[in-house]
Amino acid sequence: MSDRSPATWLRSAVRRAGEAARSVGRIARWETRRSVGVLDRRTAILGVLALLVAGAVGGAALVGGGALDRDIYRVGVAPDSPYHDVVVEDPALTARAPDPNQLGRGTEVVIRDGRFYVADSAKARAALSTLRDAVGRQNLDRMGAEENTSAAFPVVVTLRYTDRGGETPTDGGGSNGDGDAVGGTSADGDDTDTAPSDGTTAEPSGGLDTDGATRDGPVGVPSLGAAGGLLGGGDSSGSPADISPPFPFASLVLAFLFFVPMNFVIQPYGSTILNERINHRGELLLVTPVSPSAIVAGKTLPYLGLLVSVTALITLAIGGGVTSVAAVAPVATLFLAATFVGAMFARSFKELTFVTVFVSVFLTSYAFVPAIFTNVTPIALISPLTLVVRDLQGVGVTAAEYCFSTGPFYVGSTVLFALGIGVYREEDMFTQRPVPLKFLDALNSRITRPRSVALLSAFSIPFVFIAELLAIAVLFVLPGTVSVPLLLVVVATVEEVAKSVHVYAAVRGPFTDRRTDEFALRLGALSGLGFFLGEKFTAVVQFVGLPDLELGRAAFVSVGDGPTLAIGVLLLLAPLVLHATTASVAALGARRGRYAYLAALVPAIGIHAAYNLVVVTAIA
Amino acid sequence: MIEAAALRKTYRDFPAVVGSTFEVDRGEIFGIVGPNGAGKTTTLKMIAGLVDPTAGAATVAGFDAADPEMRRSLGFLPEESPLYEDMTARSYLRFFADLYDVPAETATERIERNLDRLELDHRDRRLGDVSKGMKRKVAIVRSLVNDPDVLVYDEPASGLDPLTTNYVLEFVRELRDAGKTVLFSAHNLYHVESVCDRVAIMNHGEIVARGTVPEIREQYGTTEYRVFTSRPVPDADTEPDGDRHAVTVEDMSAVERIREQAAERGGEVVDIRTREPSLEEIFLDLAAETDGLRGKR
Repeated sequence: MSDRSPATWLRSAVRRAGEAARSVGRIARWETRRSVGVLDRRTAILGVLALLVAGAVGGAALVGGGALDRDIYRVGVAPDSPYHDVVVEDPALTARAPDPNQLGRGTEVVIRDGRFYVADSAKARAALSTLRDAVGRQNLDRMGAEENTSAAFPVVVTLRYTDRGGETPTDGGGSNGDGDAVGGTSADGDDTDTAPSDGTTAEPSGGLDTDGATRDGPVGVPSLGAAGGLLGGGDSSGSPADISPPFPFASLVLAFLFFVPMNFVIQPYGSTILNERINHRGELLLVTPVSPSAIVAGKTLPYLGLLVSVTALITLAIGGGVTSVAAVAPVATLFLAATFVGAMFARSFKELTFVTVFVSVFLTSYAFVPAIFTNVTPIALISPLTLVVRDLQGVGVTAAEYCFSTGPFYVGSTVLFALGIGVYREEDMFTQRPVPLKFLDALNSRITRPRSVALLSAFSIPFVFIAELLAIAVLFVLPGTVSVPLLLVVVATVEEVAKSVHVYAAVRGPFTDRRTDEFALRLGALSGLGFFLGEKFTAVVQFVGLPDLELGRAAFVSVGDGPTLAIGVLLLLAPLVLHATTASVAALGARRGRYAYLAALVPAIGIHAAYNLVVVTAIA
Repeated sequence: MIEAAALRKTYRDFPAVVGSTFEVDRGEIFGIVGPNGAGKTTTLKMIAGLVDPTAGAATVAGFDAADPEMRRSLGFLPEESPLYEDMTARSYLRFFADLYDVPAETATERIERNLDRLELDHRDRRLGDVSKGMKRKVAIVRSLVNDPDVLVYDEPASGLDPLTTNYVLEFVRELRDAGKTVLFSAHNLYHVESVCDRVAIMNHGEIVARGTVPEIREQYGTTEYRVFTSRPVPDADTEPDGDRHAVTVEDMSAVERIREQAAERGGEVVDIRTREPSLEEIFLDLAAETDGLRGKR
């Protein structure tokens, strides 16, 4: 290269890139043809049916009715009865003639002469309960229509969702801790516009919008059980029993639609990858001038394109915007990347099924569960689905929030594809080894020299990030006295495994002839260094205010909070020393074998957890 | 066209190939023979750039075996025919021609011509529905879609019936006549002996003999002389053969001794026949020899 001018080098690079792009295009085109060709009629029908179901659910959510229980209870009531309008207006109830003979056959409840006759069945009792709720709501509505609201509502309860024991970010103080406060002035139910009368109520929590009018159960505006409808955010007044936390159900259901095609598409995608490994079928592609990465890209592109297209169509149908597509695309990519790696590791279609189910369940949970708390806590932003929910609610998303939500997905996808492509070669593709050994092979494929260990440590950060954020999401419902110590141990475990598993792979693989304590210490130090540098990636959490949470601080301990420069420098270097030390401990075990490695992880995790505890305590 | 220099491949602690060195000239058919596990396939895969050698190097048509550009000059046929069974023969072959950047018209002409040469019918039938022999023929045509100078065939007649086997071997000869360089492996020594210009015999990962078949025979085989006399020769291990007596010896001086002894008893040598050892016999001797050596180690 030294004797070539930059222009020549550039031309050569452009030519190679062009050739690679053409190869990818060719394989993608043929993969599409093959996939369409093997799609039998039954599979096609099932696929169409699945899409129709997804569309029906989405449509139901769209029309806002969402009354999945529409007209399921039949009530016999005369048109001149005062209950008739109640029955007609409630979606779950339908009016029938008040014929006692039909009780238990055509009707669940009959109202006649001011008496209620109820059939002896669970459904009839449920019907009566629904009727009772409907009557209560109508009474409430009537009282709300009274001019003298003070007479109708002598007591008004105003809800503010605030800091739960200091674990959700709030700017305002004065919360009484249990999230409610008593006002006394408003009777219109629009509590977001109502100033508290006694001054004990905090303002709506910072960072989260509370204007309520355009979204589902926003902070400060509780959705009210059945009064709000199944999918709607609901009214803002009612009896205390009707009050429920804000839950963006409609937006969540719509956002969930994006996952339906993903779960379908990864099935044929996983199959097409595994097919290449059955009977050495992919060997013939490997002897063509096309590189393994181009082969993988070509085979992946049609499925990614399909998912993005379907995402765009769903977005159009449910009224989302570009944000929704941009948020779902990295999720789709990670679905495919995880499936690809799984298909490269699986030994059979049975194992592949296990892998795809695991990918579906894990990624769907990871994306869906945090999004439930879209309007409650910034932890929800660990899921790109939260961006979709906010997009559907008409709330903007900042670039930092987008990076925070989708960054781990983009980087994680890249790392997974890189690992899979590492074993996309004759010597690894066709061997039948257990999945854990295949994983070690994939790691080894990226280890060519000692410093590769540092690189792999750095690239493990997205997965560490995802695991730790998931731990936060799971643990944040527990009291701080339990969740924080637990989280410190979980974080230490995740990070120690991430720093050492490829060291173990290296000393059992490419460096098997260099298994000395000195070399193991060198690998440990390099791994610690790589992890330390990669860990700085977590600085992105600063953008979205996660460190404002106690759990966030525990998981992503930040430096520079010290009172002096010396302490700041010490805090900067301390993590480096920690990571190098604990990784070296694990490396010393790894070089001695599997059990020694597992045993060495225990003190490494212990040291790490103790360090975390000291730092968190100091910061607190 | 092909150069293998001290190729070595070790899987963990197992040495699959131990220092293979050989050259294959343009327009030559070079065969590698050996029992299962001898290292033939691994050697071919290192030549084809599919397997990275632990040590040593290989060049094909002037390219390093690891260079992706080399693959444009190479046609590789693995031992099995792992085709995409949901594709038809035509679409499958066009797919590979596309990957080699072969223009569509050229590809179509080349594919049809080679399919004609191999008399392959059912070109638009799914490959999953055709016989093993037909799949093998499709695989051979696939190895030719890029019109390569070098062909590396691993057991090209593996699992085929005798008729198809002869067809395939004849086709390999035609390829050689058309100027292609062919490197192929087999454990059926008759195939190798009948087709190859030169041969290397592998056992336990190493080449134990190489050369043309006559050279190997001369170097490692022993010509036997069956001498027929009119009277029995007492000191020799003669056996009756009709109205004659036969004895087998391994050199011409022994023949002369038999003749003298027969003459002393008033008899004479009535016929002498020579018998060349087959490549298989040589191979078995060499295999036994190397096995013995390994056992001693």
